[in-house]
Amino acid sequence: MLRPPSKAGLALLAALVAIAARGAQDKPGAPAPQAAAQEAKPADNKPASYVGSETCQTCHEDIFKAFQKNPHSLVETDKKYGHTTQACEACHGPGSKHADSMNAADIRQPAKLTAAAADRICLSCHLSQPTHVGRINSSHAKNQVSCVSCHAIHKNGPDGLVARKPADINRQCATCHSDIWASFLRPYRHKLPEGAMSCVDCHNPHGSALPHGMQTVDANEPGCFKCHGDKRGPFSYEHAPVRMEGCTACHQPHGSANPRMLTRAQVGFLCLECHANLAQPALSANGTMGTVPPSFHDMRLPRFQNCTICHQKVHGSYVDRNFLK
Amino acid sequence: MRFLLALLLIVPALAQTTPPTASPTTAPQDQPPASAGQATSAPASAAEAQTAAPAPAQTSAGNPAPAAAEDFHGSIDFGYRWLSDVHGSMDEYRSVVDLAQGPRLFGLEFTLADPSIHLFDQLDVRAYGWGGDPYKTAHIGARKKRVYDFSFDYNDFAYFNAVPSFANPGAPGGFDEQSFDVHRRTLSAGLDLFPGGHFIPYLDFDHNAGSGSGVETWVQDSNNEYAVPTLLSDSTENYRGGVRIEYSRFHLTLEQGGTTYKDNDQATDATLLGGDNTMPIFGQTLSLSGLQQAYGIRGHSIYSKVLFTSHLAPWFDVYGQFLYSEPKTDIHFSEVANGNFLDISQLLFYSSLTTMGTGTDNQPHTTGNIGFELRPLRRLRVIESLMTDRYHDAAAPDIAVTGTAPGLLFASLNGPNGFTEYVNYNQQQIDVLYDLTNRITLHGGWRYVWGDAQTLTGELSETGPPATGQLRRNTGIGGLTYHALDKLTINLDFEGASSDDIYFRTSLNDYKKGRARARYQVAKALSLQASFQVLNNQNPAPGINYSFQSRDNALSIFWTPDSAKRISLMGEYDRSTLYSNINYLTLPFLSPAVSQYRDNAHTATTAINLALPRIKDGKLTLGGSMFVSSGSAPSRYYEPLARVSLPVCKHVSWNAEWQYYGFGQSFYLYDGFRTNSFITGVRVTQ
Repeated sequence: MLRPPSKAGLALLAALVAIAARGAQDKPGAPAPQAAAQEAKPADNKPASYVGSETCQTCHEDIFKAFQKNPHSLVETDKKYGHTTQACEACHGPGSKHADSMNAADIRQPAKLTAAAADRICLSCHLSQPTHVGRINSSHAKNQVSCVSCHAIHKNGPDGLVARKPADINRQCATCHSDIWASFLRPYRHKLPEGAMSCVDCHNPHGSALPHGMQTVDANEPGCFKCHGDKRGPFSYEHAPVRMEGCTACHQPHGSANPRMLTRAQVGFLCLECHANLAQPALSANGTMGTVPPSFHDMRLPRFQNCTICHQKVHGSYVDRNFLK
Repeated sequence: MRFLLALLLIVPALAQTTPPTASPTTAPQDQPPASAGQATSAPASAAEAQTAAPAPAQTSAGNPAPAAAEDFHGSIDFGYRWLSDVHGSMDEYRSVVDLAQGPRLFGLEFTLADPSIHLFDQLDVRAYGWGGDPYKTAHIGARKKRVYDFSFDYNDFAYFNAVPSFANPGAPGGFDEQSFDVHRRTLSAGLDLFPGGHFIPYLDFDHNAGSGSGVETWVQDSNNEYAVPTLLSDSTENYRGGVRIEYSRFHLTLEQGGTTYKDNDQATDATLLGGDNTMPIFGQTLSLSGLQQAYGIRGHSIYSKVLFTSHLAPWFDVYGQFLYSEPKTDIHFSEVANGNFLDISQLLFYSSLTTMGTGTDNQPHTTGNIGFELRPLRRLRVIESLMTDRYHDAAAPDIAVTGTAPGLLFASLNGPNGFTEYVNYNQQQIDVLYDLTNRITLHGGWRYVWGDAQTLTGELSETGPPATGQLRRNTGIGGLTYHALDKLTINLDFEGASSDDIYFRTSLNDYKKGRARARYQVAKALSLQASFQVLNNQNPAPGINYSFQSRDNALSIFWTPDSAKRISLMGEYDRSTLYSNINYLTLPFLSPAVSQYRDNAHTATTAINLALPRIKDGKLTLGGSMFVSSGSAPSRYYEPLARVSLPVCKHVSWNAEWQYYGFGQSFYLYDGFRTNSFITGVRVTQ
């Protein structure tokens, strides 16, 4: 059961409620100041029209020039995207009002929009890409982490748009997931701090069919098998948790104080916590597929304390039901 | 890979002949200020990456700045690493750190962007850790606008693991059981072609191979086990190709792929081994005098992938995917063991054991996922998704075991033939998101997962019946996101679940999961971030009584006064606790007991960057990380570092770094180690 909240917890909760109440004083449906300005009807009631990127260049020369090297410059010339010669306005919206008034409030600024509204601008083109097939399950999308939280739209260079080097990717993810990054500072870990791997080797930040945005390999296998191909099988004798609960049934993939990133310090406990059901004629609900202890080894003897010394093919065996070979 | 290394070194040299560009690189304004320790390009070492502060998120897309018009830029870091004597367990050091001394190419990276080159518009090359480090990586990317996009990655990771606490501490042969020393090499190459506007064919190839040596055990029933040297060798090749069809309102990806797999592990030993059990049985000592064991596993698979997204209306998007794979395995296994063995059920000693195994496994695996996002009102979104994953494994092994006593063929066993295991998993989830104001978004939802499974289990015998299980769980979801004053962001999430059926005693049953995150930009140069999360899982069923709770509190600070020109500070502290109690039956008498696991950990990392006075571009970095835990596996792991960088001339700087590695475990004193690493090298930048 959850412990009752402490005084500090109550104080934090009260503060959050107070802040939320203050925010809620904005009438539902009322836009934020910037958004309100953007959504305000023009004084002459005429909708803004497209003026073309060359008009934008008049004032934003530096941005215009840099943009020629940006991957998004394709929008300027490729008919596929429907904004030929209007790349700037593809994201910022029709710019005639802004061009006339030179007022920032008269042009759409995606960074000032809500996450969902900003994402809709990006997805107007990028939804038509395989990357976003898993978006429906993405916790980023559901938690208002917008595209521009990770992608710098105007940035150029090898890391333009988004970090590409493993160390940079990890740094960017750790900005929000600092608790996860702390796990990687444990002694037994995947080698992310060394820069040998990155978060996106295992997770798809855009979402995936699998939980936690896990990458897939060979169509629908968990991404773990991309490197650990020898654990994939199919085996004649599968170890059920590998397929039913995944690697995290026994391993802490980010990092652990236990050898081989196990969830327990001693192998014997890890095994017997599942293999400890009372013998009974019919398996009941609430988790009884682990069976009774599979033998009567005297676990007081050192040679029996680490089950995987003998049951070494614990991920699955081709030839032995007890995973001995 | 010598060719690759040569290529990596030659290409930048050739690239130097390209016409130099005039203007120096201007840092993009929308790039967040470099945090303490943030690597400017290649991490000079593992330590640099380790202490690198998380970069503030790219919070602004509307704050653009021009990039420099350079066609070529890059850097190369090379030098020498010294390692002091490793005090303590060298095996443990190699299992955790495994850095050795010698000359190193710490990092090489360059980008050549020039549309006038016929073959490519842009070429990116990166390589880290070459020359003997355990983690070597290389990447080549090339693209030509509207023609192709090519990427190539190669990794060579060395894995060494010989943890004494993981072996039988009483083994007469030492602590090397279940150790291994292998290299795993992965290669990926992908080519996307852009022949037209809407059809994008692509081809990919992946290769993944592990090879090396290890020590496994040869087990003779439960009477004895013998540590035997093993050669490990496996490889997987993956070929796939497909086409992406991209239109403004919908996208469809069709992909067909295939894999091949082989596993050639083998163990050969001709020495007389006494095994872990040195107790004479009926006056005889068990032994293994010779072993020849060989796996000849061959696998192949086809798989298909269909992905689609559709923007049917301004208020309606649909997503879906269908994934199918069918890996198959052909098994060839042979083993001949000689020695003095015991069949305790017949009280019979025998001298030879032969095992021959053949068989096939077939594993059709189908996954489907479909969902939609509906926006009936401007502030309201409804996201619904449905997923099914159906995995079957039809195995037909035929295992023959033959024992030979002097003049007597005493046993011949065949394994069970033709059985099926399956796991069917289904999930539906609906989420409703409502923008209460432009600053507050509320979300709530419901997830229902259900499934069934059948698998082989032991049931105190090798031929017990399959066990079946079911999964049924309802989960309620809620939370809010609050953006206040453009400086404060708060995110709250909660999940509460109740399960009718679960598969395993330790599975998520009745659980509550909460998470709170806040980020506060105190000033332009100072930001704070805090997070808290808790998971509480309970299974009060008799005989199980599982109680699990984990908490994690993290606090981060980023201080970059004056755009970090003189000093910057990054600090992170994380406090995590884990509490787990579960009943189990301890052997040999199946007596009830409680398995308790506790982990109370403090983790901290920091990096302070100081600009050296009177030395332009001179920099001193101090920091590192520490991990201290108590509970079931009390551990300490320290990695402090100091690094200095001094400019030599315009494009050259000299770097020196010291890092200490210290590891200790209270319950396994022989597992500890400590050592110092010194690096000196040069970084050349263009």
